[in-house]
Amino acid sequence: MILVPVTYRGGIYRHDEIVALIEDLGGYIVQKHTLAQEVVLQCFVPKDDIELIRTIAKPLAGEVTDSPLVGTEIAVVIPSLEIHHLPHPACDIAEYSRRLGAKSNMVGMARGVGKRIAGINDEERDVINEHDIAVYVLGNFEVCIEHKIPILRRGVEVPIVLCGAPDKETLERITKPAVDGYVGNVGRFMHRTKESDELAKLDEIIAEITRVLERKREEIAKDPLSVSPARLMDVIREQVPAILDVTSPTPLTVQMAGLRVKLPYDSYASVLKKTVIEDGITIGDVSEIVPSRMRDYILVKILPFSSTNVVV
Amino acid sequence: MTSIEYFEVECTEPLGGEYYRQITNDVLLDHNLLRVIHKLHVYIDPNVPVFVACGVLKKITSLVRVRDFVNVNPLEGKMILVISNETYLAPMLKIFWQRFGKDHVEQPDRFTVVLYDLAVDPKEIEEIIIADPSEALYKDLIYAFRCIAPEGFRVRREVYGKERFSFISSEDTLTASSDALVAEKFQLMGEEP
Repeated sequence: MILVPVTYRGGIYRHDEIVALIEDLGGYIVQKHTLAQEVVLQCFVPKDDIELIRTIAKPLAGEVTDSPLVGTEIAVVIPSLEIHHLPHPACDIAEYSRRLGAKSNMVGMARGVGKRIAGINDEERDVINEHDIAVYVLGNFEVCIEHKIPILRRGVEVPIVLCGAPDKETLERITKPAVDGYVGNVGRFMHRTKESDELAKLDEIIAEITRVLERKREEIAKDPLSVSPARLMDVIREQVPAILDVTSPTPLTVQMAGLRVKLPYDSYASVLKKTVIEDGITIGDVSEIVPSRMRDYILVKILPFSSTNVVV
Repeated sequence: MTSIEYFEVECTEPLGGEYYRQITNDVLLDHNLLRVIHKLHVYIDPNVPVFVACGVLKKITSLVRVRDFVNVNPLEGKMILVISNETYLAPMLKIFWQRFGKDHVEQPDRFTVVLYDLAVDPKEIEEIIIADPSEALYKDLIYAFRCIAPEGFRVRREVYGKERFSFISSEDTLTASSDALVAEKFQLMGEEP
């Protein structure tokens, strides 16, 4: 069964029927937003059943759209959290990727500014590495980007998409070694992205992120995960009731090959490790449970089939 | 940008210069400063690296006096001041307290101030200077250029006064050549350095 990421948008009236349908079909709801009279469900559903959901949702005026970024966690990396980068363009990019289903986090560096003085510390590097992809939003000068990108990417192992004011070809030329994706003509600016050409640029960034993530998905598919992150999310939600008391918008953040559990590591790591998924196979058997560098959260890294010889 | 007579952004990288022109425009517009600038020249060289902004301001609006926002009604033994705009109310009260003493100043409600037992001509009260907006203006201007300048350029020197200003910033120590650069940019605008 191939699960595909989609977004369901519809009225609050009878939306529980759609929730039940997705669960009955073997899909998973990653996130549910209720905004006044509207419900937005970000979910994974079986590819063959999308039409069935569309048909059932039609009388409820619900619509199902593809959301390639559902189930991914994106780091938007900027040189600092100052007015120079926030709210434009960094928040615009982060917010736009959220609309398409991603969970985006902003990583502002302590000393990422300037050309000669730019640097990255171990905490920032580790936090970036906990994501599926890092989108570096840099500035307007070719010479500065050329000088600082090797420093800011030091130790970063996740795929990188680089955004900057020079055009794509220039970015490709000045980045050595090459990164995974480039979006040119998106430098530092200080106005809201609302013109059509600016929105087209945001679409281009999303397309580039999607392309890079697709490649990562293909890599993962070569050695499939022992358990789907969305399924693991469901298991934890059912068996660790403490997660229901967490007030964070996404107490369980689904990633492509893991899960961020927003519970304190010291008290809950052993509980998670012993949680049974199916037939006596525990979460500890199929994944590595490590402390996250983000607060005191838990990071569950799902192991591939080749390491566990189990698929649940 | 119609209100600015001269506005140039000079940069060693043309595309970066275009972006900085847009940033300068956006920030000055957001801070409502475009209307006070007469001439502006911005120079950026990321290779050095250095950022220079210098310019000339329009004649700055005159000083704020009591008569600009207060209606003075003299009565026997007291004067009733009716306030039409609260912006300068606090500094005005402070000045009155210092000058006449708190015993002679009373504020019965938000828009009224009463002065008691003063042997002062109402005309004199009307002429009291409350604030000098140009002081705040220069501070706003420098703050705006701190937002415009590349963020890493944290070594700064600002000079302002007499309707002119210059702002220079870099990552490295500023040298004597930085002053020469500012003078050169003033000359480009057709102004005496």
